[in-house]
Amino acid sequence: MITSLRQMADTVRSSGKCHKIAVAWAQDPNTIGSLNRAVSEGFAKALMIGRREQIIRICRETGADPDRFTIIEADNEKNAATLAVSMTLSGEADIVMKGLVGTDKFLRAVMDKERGLLPPKAVMSYVCAVEVPAYHKLLFITDTAVIPFPDLDQKVAMAEYAIAMAKKFGISRPSVALISASEKVSSHFPNTLDYSVMCKMAERGQISPCVMDGPVDLFLACDPVSVKIKNVDTPLAGDADILLFPSLESCNPFYKGLMLFGGGELAGMICGTSKPVVLMSRSESELSKYYCVALACLMAATKDVN
Amino acid sequence: MVLKHLYELKELLVDKPTRRLVLAAAQDHFSLTSALKAAQDGFVEPILVGDKEAVQSIATQHNLDLSGVRMIHEPDTEMAVEIAVKMVRSNQADILMKGQVGTSSLLKAVLNKEWGLRSGALLSHFAIFEVEAYHKLIAVTDVAMNIAPNLQDKISIVNNSVGCLNKLGVEIPKVAVLGAVEMVSENMQATLDAALLSKMNQRDQIKHCIIDGPLAFDNAISLESAKHKGIRSEVAGDTDLLLMPDIEVGNVLYKSLVFFAHAGVAAVILGATAPIVLTSRSDSDQAKYYSILLAAAISKSE
Repeated sequence: MITSLRQMADTVRSSGKCHKIAVAWAQDPNTIGSLNRAVSEGFAKALMIGRREQIIRICRETGADPDRFTIIEADNEKNAATLAVSMTLSGEADIVMKGLVGTDKFLRAVMDKERGLLPPKAVMSYVCAVEVPAYHKLLFITDTAVIPFPDLDQKVAMAEYAIAMAKKFGISRPSVALISASEKVSSHFPNTLDYSVMCKMAERGQISPCVMDGPVDLFLACDPVSVKIKNVDTPLAGDADILLFPSLESCNPFYKGLMLFGGGELAGMICGTSKPVVLMSRSESELSKYYCVALACLMAATKDVN
Repeated sequence: MVLKHLYELKELLVDKPTRRLVLAAAQDHFSLTSALKAAQDGFVEPILVGDKEAVQSIATQHNLDLSGVRMIHEPDTEMAVEIAVKMVRSNQADILMKGQVGTSSLLKAVLNKEWGLRSGALLSHFAIFEVEAYHKLIAVTDVAMNIAPNLQDKISIVNNSVGCLNKLGVEIPKVAVLGAVEMVSENMQATLDAALLSKMNQRDQIKHCIIDGPLAFDNAISLESAKHKGIRSEVAGDTDLLLMPDIEVGNVLYKSLVFFAHAGVAAVILGATAPIVLTSRSDSDQAKYYSILLAAAISKSE
């Protein structure tokens, strides 16, 4: 079982596999910086799509060896995104990654109905594996970045993606906490109604094997002492692996709080696509960016870690 | 305590003070007969409110003994109902029973804001069946009163019924929330409500019972069937109470149990300050009799 992000990257590095990453509009110091370590450690091969001259110049400026990268010339960001996605779709690349291209243009190419990476009717979401000193294990949290107000179907998809990621880390039956402000079911908090339905779905085998409970607050999900004090009968017992948040606006500040005040690091990626999609905020730390690339490689591999 | 037969209701009434049953608009052959029978057997003390002459003529015609029975003469049906309801309200009677009066008129009186029997709870119908093929009595709600209960209504209906079962000695009743399938589907509101009721029960927002649902009828009453489907449930196969998704399902189940399975039945209206016996003409004499016993068994002991 993988219990830290560092171990996750080590696992990917020692797997002996090398995944090809197609980078859309690659002339970006951030992107080149995050790929450089993965490429030099040998578990990633970068197909840098963009302005060749600029890519080479930035490589030199950031101390990366441009010869380590395969550079493919593209004349604008839209074409770069389309090419990166289509190379991934055709199998020339295993993973697609956003470079300097705007997020909306990049995702439009990913979601293109004919030449994109999103299967019909699939829900696209974002899952982050977070490591924070205050918690005794990794936390998988969703959705920090894509779905503003997930409905029931989207919440179920989010849970499935997080469970699938946790399984890749070797957690065979992850604990899923459906986060709210309290553990009570109330029509004043519509998410608590969805959560109740999801718990029953999990109980009936309509969701992949997991231990699911919600609504719960963060204390019941992650703090055994609170579970005792509040005397709530929850199978999570303060030991959750996955935190599913009711909205992007609750999940996003939560993870940023962990990064900013909790000394956390993360590895996150888009889920729901047929191939891993790497998309990260510029303000993540260098280490987190490296972990994002490693995570995509882990998820691109076909076997779960034992 | 687990009841298997309706006649065991009698045992619940042994050593308890005789309950006073007021029959509103008593000039009704069917309800009069069953009330007098329960009185003869010593389970209730009847008070007849209605048209004295009409009551006496029915008694003569059907050989009913009215000796020693208290009677209040009121020929006007509406007034008779009002008197009966007020007697319950003022603690001069413990059980209200419908006589020769329409159900809606009786319920209107029960729900009267000034002198009715409102308790703050929703009124709901509660039926308990004796079915040969099941190992204990099984309660079913709501088969006759609430048409399309929403989640809030269902919570009230469960609370009413659980309170009643507690009084019958079933300490932690097992409640199956029925659906067409045991899976949750957004296309079937009943399954979503069932999931919510389960979770609210887990969170102690609905107490004194164990709720599971959605369960299909077979999963609810047969452990084998539930196992076959891979359902792990404390309720499946040992259900005390079946919560119906709506009145159509409930009513058809009720009648099919009676007509096809020859089930014995007793029923009361819950949610008022006292139990209400509201039988229909199509009910058997036995059903009426046991309904009175059921009402007596759950009515307050003061």
